[in-house]
Formats: sequence, structure tokens, C-alpha cells
Amino acid sequence: MISEETLVQQLKQKETQAQSFEVLINTYKERLYWHIRRIVLDHDDTDDVLQNTFIKVFRNIEGFKGDSKLYSWMYRIATNEALTFLKSKSKKMGLSDVELQDRMIGNLEADVYFEGDAIQLKLQKAIAALPEKQKLVFNMKYFQELKYEEISEILETSVGGLKASYHLAVKKIEASLKED
Amino acid sequence: MDKKYKKQDFKTPEGYLDHFTERMRQKLSEEEIHLPEQDGFEVPKDYFENLNEKIVQKIQDNETKVVKLNPYKKYFYAAASIAAVLLVVFGLRLSKEEEFTFGDLANSDLENYLENNDLGLSSYEIAEVVPVEELEINDILENQINDENIIEYLDNTVDDVDELNIEFDEYEQ
Repeated sequence: MISEETLVQQLKQKETQAQSFEVLINTYKERLYWHIRRIVLDHDDTDDVLQNTFIKVFRNIEGFKGDSKLYSWMYRIATNEALTFLKSKSKKMGLSDVELQDRMIGNLEADVYFEGDAIQLKLQKAIAALPEKQKLVFNMKYFQELKYEEISEILETSVGGLKASYHLAVKKIEASLKED
Repeated sequence: MDKKYKKQDFKTPEGYLDHFTERMRQKLSEEEIHLPEQDGFEVPKDYFENLNEKIVQKIQDNETKVVKLNPYKKYFYAAASIAAVLLVVFGLRLSKEEEFTFGDLANSDLENYLENNDLGLSSYEIAEVVPVEELEINDILENQINDENIIEYLDNTVDDVDELNIEFDEYEQ
């Protein structure tokens, strides 16, 4: 696998751009897909957001200075795209954020691409009830198994703050799963 | 069992302490919450295989759109900056307290006043204040005369138009 720096260089040059962009998509599509999917929940919405994320990456690669790592930059774009998508969706439907979350969870039960059992559905409900930051941190830590250092770079939050958020999120989820 | 505890007068149900460890273990395992390791989300078959193509296609589609829109962009910026300047200029003017001057009266108001009020001025007095040199005949006449009327009049009344020394160039279309 080529290094991030080489990939970025190749992405910035016209001759190698197309080929290296494909490498970029292949390297990150699954990781970013799951990151977005856990925010927007629906597959088709995830597909839209994921494509827009890669388009944004492609358009803005010229301006990528390398201050942060490429993957964390892409994760950041994906996170922003997904959250913006949800905001505009709730606005379009005339719903509050909480109402939209409720509806998204409701839709999961009928979703052909959600094979979760009762406990997994309950888990999603519990995650949906978390504040935005805790939700992101929980998904990134628990399901994507990212390191705190990596999450810290993506969300631009201190590691200590992230640990506290994760701890709180787990406590709330456990409490919520205990309830019947 | 420890002797010093045995001496106490309190009693426990039979076998209580024997089964305590087992019960405690069971209780702890009940308390422990096992979060599911998987979240249950699925992806349509072959979704990731076809993704590259879809994204590249979308980028190409978008590129043509961007080219179309670009030329207008600079006009938007220009219009926006002009509007901003005008806003500042008029904003500053409006904020000043203005003195009411004669020039602020609408012409129609003045005309209306002159028409409906007898000023008691004779023709000579009016002639003294109205600059005759700047007046044109149409300012005085109720029925307006235009070039066509004049030429028609001349055509009908003058026998030899050439004698009038009119520069025809001005009237030829």
C-alpha cells in the first residue's frame, strides 16, 4: 500500500489524478461508509452522503495542506456531510432533530438492510438518544474500533474529553438496555 | 468458620453462607450488560464493487454543471459589491438630518399650486422671471407641434420648399 503522502501528491497531479483517486476510494470506501451509515442509518442516504464526501475530497484535495492526516481529514468531511444531511432532512420534513431520530429508528424496523435483532434495535434506540458528540464517539470507538488519538484528530477534541464522552455514552446505553 | 463470628447471637437461614458465593456470581452476571458486538446493518450485494464508477460518473456530471455556472459568478460578485456601496452611500445620506429645500418640492405640486391660485402677476412680470431664451414653443402651446406637423404645414402652404433653405439631410430617414 502506498503512503498517504504519495497518494496526496498523486491526487494533486493531473496525470496521476484519476488512477490515484480510485486507489483512494478503494482504500476508504468501506470505512467511511460504515462511519456515515451509523450516523444516517439508512443505506440509500448513506450512499448519497458517501458519494458527496468523495466528491468534496476530490474537489478540495488541492487545498489539502497535510496539517492533519488524510484519513482524518476525510472522516471529518464525512462527519460534516452526514450531520448536514440530517439537518437539511429534518428541515425539509419540518421535524425537530429528536423527531427525526425517532422516525429514523422507526424506519429501521422495516429496513431491508437492517438485520438486527431486538437487542440490536434497542441498542440503536439507545445510541439515537445520546447527544451528538457522544453518539459519534461511541460509534467510532465501539464499532469502528478507532483509537482515541485518531478520534481526537477527526473530531478535534482532546483525548481526555473523548474518554469522558465515551464513558458517559456507555453508561447511558447500558442503563437504557437494562430498562424494559 | 471463624470462631469470633460464631459466638454472635444472630442466626442465618440454613445453608445461607454456603450458597452465597454461587448466588453472588449469578447476580453479577445478571448485572453485566453485554452490548452486541454487531450493529445489524447490512449492505446491498455488490454495492462496494460498483461504487467507484458511480462516484467518478457523478464528478464528471458535476464538472459540466460547474462550467456552465461559472461565468455568472463574477457578475454576482460585481452586483453584490455595487449594491453594498449604494447601500452605504444612501444609508449615510439617510442618516443625516436633511433640511427641507425648495428643490425638494415635486414639480407637479408646484404646477398644481400655480394653476389653482391667482398669483396676480401680469404677463410682463412673468416675462421678467421666466427666461424667454430657454422657452420653446411647445412649453406654451396646449396642442403640441412636432416636426411632422410643421413639414405637413409647409408642404400644404409653401409652393417652393427649396426657398425655405431647409437642410433636408436632417429630415431624411
